[in-house]
Order: sequence, then structure tokens, then C-alpha cells
Amino acid sequence: MATRRRLKAVLIDLSGTLHIEDAAVPGAQEALARLRQAPVTVKFVTNTTKECKRTLFERLRQLNFDLQEQEIFTSLTAARNLLEQRAVRPLLLVEDSALEDFTGLETSDPNAVVIGLAPNHFNYQTLNKAFQLILDGAPLIAIHKARYYKRKDGLALGPGPFVTGLEYATDTRATVVGKPKKAFFLEALRDLNCSPDEAVMIGDDARDDVGGAQNTGMLGILVKTGKYRHGDEDKIKPPPHLTCDTFPDAVNHILEHLVESK
Amino acid sequence: MAAGRSMEWVKGVKGVILDMCGVLYDSGEGGGQPIPGSVEAIERLMGSGLIVRFCTNETQNTREKFVQKLQRMGFNISVSHVFSPAPALLRILRERGLQPHLLVHDDLMAEFDGVEMTSPNCVVIGDAADRFSYQNLNEAFGVLIGLEKPILFSLGQGRYYKETDGLKLDVGGFMKALEYACDVQAEVVGKPSAEFFQSVLRDMDLQPHEVVMVGDDLVNDVGGAQRCGMRGVQVRTGKYRPSDEQHPSVKADAHMDDLAAAVDAILISDL
Repeated sequence: MATRRRLKAVLIDLSGTLHIEDAAVPGAQEALARLRQAPVTVKFVTNTTKECKRTLFERLRQLNFDLQEQEIFTSLTAARNLLEQRAVRPLLLVEDSALEDFTGLETSDPNAVVIGLAPNHFNYQTLNKAFQLILDGAPLIAIHKARYYKRKDGLALGPGPFVTGLEYATDTRATVVGKPKKAFFLEALRDLNCSPDEAVMIGDDARDDVGGAQNTGMLGILVKTGKYRHGDEDKIKPPPHLTCDTFPDAVNHILEHLVESK
Repeated sequence: MAAGRSMEWVKGVKGVILDMCGVLYDSGEGGGQPIPGSVEAIERLMGSGLIVRFCTNETQNTREKFVQKLQRMGFNISVSHVFSPAPALLRILRERGLQPHLLVHDDLMAEFDGVEMTSPNCVVIGDAADRFSYQNLNEAFGVLIGLEKPILFSLGQGRYYKETDGLKLDVGGFMKALEYACDVQAEVVGKPSAEFFQSVLRDMDLQPHEVVMVGDDLVNDVGGAQRCGMRGVQVRTGKYRPSDEQHPSVKADAHMDDLAAAVDAILISDL
């Protein structure tokens, strides 16, 4: 611990870490409250392409978590920030439920393409429109590149295949903004005035949460809830700084070992 | 621009293989339009004594219907001279005892009459145009991911083609989408597969170095032909883009403005 700088921020994954579907992880609300008493800033980070911040916020409030909507940073937020930085007008291939996170952006006469999980938009006509824009020089921004996801009726194609197809057709590379990209974590820390070696990430996805965070220079804590499978901790190099049972255990470790006592 | 200095590529040519879409005609509304000069260029080629064949990855129609369309445009060509992926694929399916799940254009379905498809053990993807919906792609994905040994055939792998109202996505991007989703590699039937070109050469009874391929697709027409030992000429029509002339790995033997110019060059050397 001696070589690391003082801990300033804790990034926390949502689904699988704080809650599993509509049930909170036991003790998580109380653990969050204890964490907030320490001199650290907390931010909630997640890959999503379908749910806007307000929906996520409302779900967490209903489960009695103490948080503010602006403490939530999603892959959609990351995409929005990138669009603003580049001052481009996006063609948004994104579910209607997620459009709210892009309000205020000019979308007429688009010169950029944003791809999320949007089955309604993945038809030949719309994909051709995206293709032609990219061929004309519009940057292609991918919320993330998941191959597929689990639906009630089985596995279904994620945004990844469509991003890959457009990359091939246009001979360009997409900018992927979600976890496990470095850019996602750096962007999450940007307004906290905090460098990666002053931050720790807690999540249930060894590769996307912990691996991605550690690759950025943060510490990573893997929790054995949600999508965790036995042996996940061995699948990333370097291994997680800590692997523990649940979010409350992660908080205990942070308070005991990572936060400087005053 | 006349390729006066570098006319090496026309020496000793005994046969010509022509791509069709983007060389003879541009596809689009009402079936498409002949490219100016192409009808007459074909007439001259056919009367020249050179052996002529046509190679297309066109899979929006059966070979017969496709040739009829071109004949109506004035092109003097017959079905026996046209090579397309669907017949080649049918041979492969028979040889390997495979039953396909099809994601192809409605008008191509007739090529599969009589093919057993009740228990699909492979997926075939073609230039399905409007049939490339999330639902249909998801269905194809579902079949592949459920197979112990996923087999994906792609009829060509083109990135895009030119229609009268702009460039449109070809089968290649959708092939890559399914490859990525299932972590498989597609088997490409049609250009630029070597087997496909070789079957045409066998029909012509010529050696590769005696044949020149004329096409608008630098990678699939020209590159594919060159890898088989043929010469490859790119025409500046169809899906041609100026950046093609600076491609990092494929260098055409020549660039010609259009088919008429290419045929001029070939026939002059013949005199």
C-alpha cells in the first residue's frame, strides 16, 4: 500500500454488485452508507445501452440506496461526453428508452454514428444510412461490443456484431466507449479530479470491471455475486487486488486498508 | 487515361473473365442501367475469338433470371457462360450432406428448390438486402449458436456495391457480424475464393496467366484473380473509389476508365 497515493474515489458497478435484478445484495445499503462517511468520492458505473440514468437511479432508490442521479456514470454518458467533446451531430441507433440521456444534442444532418443495442434500428435501410455516413467520414461510436445477451427466449445478438459489420464494410474502426475500455474509466474519474492510482473499482465482472479498471491503473476488487463464476479471478492478469464475497466485504476492506485514517 | 506505357497486361491474353455488376451495368431501380459503352464492348469481345466468361457474386436473383435481365438490356450473353455462387454452393451442400438455413434474397430461393432444409446444420448468407433485419439475422444466429459444429457459408464477401441511388451494404458486413457473434469463420463461396475462379478456368480450358479478369471490386475481383495467377484490371465504374488506386496490398495490373476502354486495349493488342 505504501507506493499508492491516498485513495480519493471508489467506483461501484451496479447490476450484480449492488443488486441482483430487483433485490439488493444483503447489507449493501448499509455498507454504502459507511463508505460515504470516509473521505472518498463515490461513483456508480455501468455498461448499459437501453436504460437511461433516471431509470437506473429510480431502481436504486426503490431498493433504499442513498445516491444522487449525477453520481451515476454509464456507457451512454460516456458516449454523450465524447459527442460533445468532438462537437458532432449523431445518428443515434439507440433504443428509445435510452434517448433521454442524449437530450440537448443536435441530431439533424448527422455527421457521427452511435450504435447501442437497438433491434428496432438494425434493419437494412437504417444500417445503410449509418454505412453511408461513415463512408463519408462520420466517426463510428459504439456504446459497447457485446456479442450477445440473454433474453427470456434465449440468446440474442448484441450491438457488437453490427459494429463489426460496419467496421468491415467501411474499413474503419469504431471508438468503443463502454467498459472495459480505459477511456470509460478515465472519463468516469475526470470530473472527480482524481487519477487512476487514487481510485478503486468494485464489480462482479472480472474482465470488464476489474480487468478494465486495473488496466487503467486503478485497484480492482472482484465480488462473488452476480455474474461471477468460480475461477474468474484467475482469468485476468494481474489478478484482482482483492476477491471477496460481497460488496459489504469490499467496503470493509477499503475502510480498513485503503483509506488513510485521519 | 490510356495505359500506354504499361500494356504488359494485354500480352498473350487468350481469355477474359468479366465481373458484371459495376462493369456491364449498375444495379438499381427497375433492375438497373447498362454502363455506357458496355453493350457494344461485349459484342466486340464475343466476336474476337477470345474465350469469354462472366463471374458474378450477384445473389439477388437466380442465374437464369439474372441473365434474362441483362439480355433485355441488350447484352449478348448466355447462361452457360455465367458463373455465380449459388450453383457452386449447391454442389458443396450435396458433397458434404448439409442442410441449409437460408438468409438470402427472396428471388434467390428458387435456386434451392428440391434442397432438403428441414433440419438445418449450416447457415447460408447471401445478398439479402431488405431481408437483413434484426429478426432474420437473430434467427440465423440462433441456428449457428445451437450447432455443435457451426458452419457458415457466405455467398461472396463484398463490402458494398453501387446502386443507382448510392452505395449499399453487401453481404460481407453481415457475414462479419455473424462471424463475430458466434466466433466462427465463414466459408466464402464465389469471388474471391480460389476454387470459384479455378472452376471457371477449367471451363475455359486455359491457364491462369492467359486470362485477364476485369472488375470494379479491387479486393474481390482483381485481388482474388491475381492470387490465382491471373491478371486483374480494375475499371473506374461501379463501386470503384479513387482511394482504390492507393490500396496497401492489392495493385491492379491496370486501371481502365470503363469496360469499353479495357476491351479497346485488349483487342488492339490482338491485331
